[in-house]
Amino acid sequence: MATLTPAAPRTTEAATSPPRRHTDSDRLFNRVVLGVLIALALLWLVPIAWATATSLRPPNDIATNPTSWVSDNPTLSSYQEILSAGRIQYWYVNSLITSSLTTLLAVCTTSLAAFALSRLKFSFRRPVFLVILAGVMIPPQLLMIPQFLTLQATGMLNTYWAVILPQVPNVVSVFVFKQFFDGIPVELTDAARADGASWLRIYWQIVMPLSRPAISAVTIFVFVWSWNNFLWPLLAVTDPQMMTLPVGLNSVQDAFGLPQAQLMASAVLGALPLLTVFLFFQRRIVEGIAGTGLK
Amino acid sequence: MQGRRRFLGAAGSLAAAGALSGCSTAVGQAFTGSAGPSSLLNFWHPFTGGDGAQLVGMQSGYRKRNPGTDLKSTTLVWGSPYYTKLTLATLGQRPPQVAITHVSRLPTLAASGLLREISPSELDQHGLTAGRFAKSAFRSAHHAGKLYALPLDTHPFVLYYRTDIAKKAGLLDDKGQLTDVDGPDKFLDAMRAVKEVTGLWGASIATVKDPATCWRFFWSLYRQLGADLVTDGGRKVVMDRAAAEEALAYIRRMADQKLIPPGADGDGGAITLLTAGKAGFLMDGEWQLLAVQGAVKDKFDMRTFPRIFRDAPYACAADSHAFILPKAPSEKAQRADKALEFARSMLDASLDWAKGGHIPAWQATARSSAYHHLEPQAHYAEAADGAAYDPAAWYSGADSNLYRRFSDVVSSVVGGHTRPGAGAARMHAALKDLAGMEAPI
Amino acid sequence: MSTATGVRTTGGQRWTASGMLLPFGIFYVLFLLGPLLYTAVAGFFNDSLVKSGPGEWVGTANYAEALGSPEFWSSLGHTLWFTVLTTVPLILLSLTLALMTDRFSRGKWFFRLAFFAPFMLPSSVISLLFMWIYADQIGLAQGVVTWFGVDAAPSWLGSPNWAMISIAAATVWWTVGFNFVIYLAALQEIPRDVHEAAAIDGAGPWQRLRLVVIPMLGRATTLVAVLQLVASLKVFDQIYMMTNGGPDDATRPSLLYIFQTGFTDGRAGYASTVALLLFVIILLISLVWFALIRRTEKEG
Repeated sequence: MATLTPAAPRTTEAATSPPRRHTDSDRLFNRVVLGVLIALALLWLVPIAWATATSLRPPNDIATNPTSWVSDNPTLSSYQEILSAGRIQYWYVNSLITSSLTTLLAVCTTSLAAFALSRLKFSFRRPVFLVILAGVMIPPQLLMIPQFLTLQATGMLNTYWAVILPQVPNVVSVFVFKQFFDGIPVELTDAARADGASWLRIYWQIVMPLSRPAISAVTIFVFVWSWNNFLWPLLAVTDPQMMTLPVGLNSVQDAFGLPQAQLMASAVLGALPLLTVFLFFQRRIVEGIAGTGLK
Repeated sequence: MQGRRRFLGAAGSLAAAGALSGCSTAVGQAFTGSAGPSSLLNFWHPFTGGDGAQLVGMQSGYRKRNPGTDLKSTTLVWGSPYYTKLTLATLGQRPPQVAITHVSRLPTLAASGLLREISPSELDQHGLTAGRFAKSAFRSAHHAGKLYALPLDTHPFVLYYRTDIAKKAGLLDDKGQLTDVDGPDKFLDAMRAVKEVTGLWGASIATVKDPATCWRFFWSLYRQLGADLVTDGGRKVVMDRAAAEEALAYIRRMADQKLIPPGADGDGGAITLLTAGKAGFLMDGEWQLLAVQGAVKDKFDMRTFPRIFRDAPYACAADSHAFILPKAPSEKAQRADKALEFARSMLDASLDWAKGGHIPAWQATARSSAYHHLEPQAHYAEAADGAAYDPAAWYSGADSNLYRRFSDVVSSVVGGHTRPGAGAARMHAALKDLAGMEAPI
Repeated sequence: MSTATGVRTTGGQRWTASGMLLPFGIFYVLFLLGPLLYTAVAGFFNDSLVKSGPGEWVGTANYAEALGSPEFWSSLGHTLWFTVLTTVPLILLSLTLALMTDRFSRGKWFFRLAFFAPFMLPSSVISLLFMWIYADQIGLAQGVVTWFGVDAAPSWLGSPNWAMISIAAATVWWTVGFNFVIYLAALQEIPRDVHEAAAIDGAGPWQRLRLVVIPMLGRATTLVAVLQLVASLKVFDQIYMMTNGGPDDATRPSLLYIFQTGFTDGRAGYASTVALLLFVIILLISLVWFALIRRTEKEG
């Protein structure tokens, strides 16, 4: 942690003036804070590290000494068992397909609606806006029964569509887009209008290309949210081969004859996709999720 | 080095499975919702532990004999979540072709229209005629006069005893079997004699965190008094409060005289008391056989739950595992023929199933000499004749609301917090409450 | 529509707008608004999951049953208990962590990684991890307290007194990162000269924190508190997987009660009643909470 240094002054004024002298007690305080913070951060990594450690131990090793961190002969056999059972691969694919399509549909429909609310003039704009706004207050989890009955009536349960469709109306995304669109200068769209461009074309060729930050925020937000969604896919798909990753992992837990090392190997494999993505796009993901939540 | 190679191998198999193993057709089906290939046979069951191990053996026998069938066996955690998933899968038009149910759950599943009826001609075709099953189990596989299930076993509430302790207590006859413990006082006397030897408890029973055991304890005694709870599919309460009070009073006597522990739990605590020699008897289901056997080897035996009351024919709480065919959207997806063939194959392997403790419903096995020589299984085989199944109601059956409500009372009576009379009143109120709810079927 | 540009009537825009709102509108009506109306109506019928049709009109019988049912109230109590157990530590802990991290300009990525990474995990991974950590006899948590000299370590998920606390602790571990990054972002927006000015005025570090920094975080706190509150009131996943509401229903939250009455018992009408009641309760609590925070914010 040699890279950690006390925060530099942020104002230019302070930067030009000689740096404020830190007293010894200030420095000591900073060091204590740093120590506590690092200790907490390490504590925060314990569960994942513990799972990984367990997953690498041979099953009989765990039986003899359950709370040990190391093993004399670490092995990947638990991972091999899980992968050769061949179900988790389906869950990866299912999650990828359903989350991607959910995201695509959500981005398209919510941005289009937000564009209309932001740019077009029509008499019922305000009531429509208010009705959509009210949607923020409806927790979708409470609607599981009618949603289930609707999809059952159409015979779509146990297909990808059952997982995807109810997750598409993401009200928060409409606001993120609308807020962003409101910030795009009117002159820009007016000029295009004067050139005879249709509204759809303005949306597609002018506004959307300018809205990269909003698109990426909504994409990340919706994708992560639908990837991790549990309750709805639990109801919508029951065939083990059709399950999404979170629901599939729950079914692994169901079959509790499995050795602990294999359970932890499944947990690590289940954590892997989003954690990897997170490692590479840390900043953007944090902004996408926290930023979307902020609005 | 080897580790790394293995890791690469694992990663490779992941990629290969994703790209090759029929994934694209599976994805296509996942969009359209069409049923899988006709060679596929999905089987759902809640068997883990000893039962699960026996089942694995029986299934591998089936696989060997039927190489053309792709049997996919899925274990789901036992209890009401299992039935929830079964219901959801059937409503979602993607049920397993064959599944295990407790027959106590059958009335609800059948009345909900989730099961496919099994016709007499199909029975004939697969040699699954009525006469080849245990009578009471086969009767319980019906709903509204139609057959919906094929019983695999009967699993009653029984009595385990430590032979070494019983011998010291002078309770064994010259053949090494437990002497007469039938009758309210005789059973308590036997427990008292055992308590002298163990110095702690006479009998062990899980009365905490184990609604099912509490229910079976109560239900065995209550049925021996000849009383019933509900009729009309659970809508009408016909509970005999005096009988309930008598049964609870008997349970209270055991606790009062400190013959049973007030708080043994269902997570192995009750069994441990027996295996550790702190109790000489254990009242539990026969499926704990392998667990007890594993701990004390041959120093134990089993018999039917004692006949305490003589007001009615012998009764002990029991249930049966049975094969059902959840209703599929089409005959093509149903594969009833394959499913019945599989059930028949499992029934033929009943002797393996019996090794886990269950009494086979398949009479060819139950009457075989191999089974009669199976010990201690053969010592409680006649319990099947007295099997008392749960009352038929949507809130009744394995791990149901009824279990939860009644076990609260039993648990509280054992703990000494509720008197038998008040307990019977609470049971009656709970039952009224359940019967008064708007039934979903 | 051959008139000159800019003179098109709003009538034309009305059709364009309708067309653009339609795709979202269909989803919105089919999967949010429609189901909400269904929930409101179904509560008056004895609707069943396994029978087609809406069932029979039963008036307010479902409402009477729910309001008179100890299970309804106990599950609501568990939900509120879980909300208290998570919301308070999640706000205080994330604020503390953010304040500490904000002192350092470099290396933030490491703390953000450590605290936020768990938030990316699916609930089933969380449940698998913590069921192993909380396991009886062989789990890490019992090992640790035994190491500290506690003779009889509690059964973390098996004891009715501890189960909810254990689940809440796992939830704090899981979601604190979300609040943490929001606070961190809010702290970054406080100009450094505010600190400087306060320091020149002779305010000590604690005074600066209490009088300057915390009040400036008001907006973030409002947001974090409301989001947290609503999320906690809808808790389901980790409880469903770790204890399924047990032991002795001691951890069953309202949403699980709806799930069980609706999908296990198949009583869709009754479950709809409970869902609507919970909806109203969530709505009221968040409105009251919001109003309270707004008021204190204004006074501050």
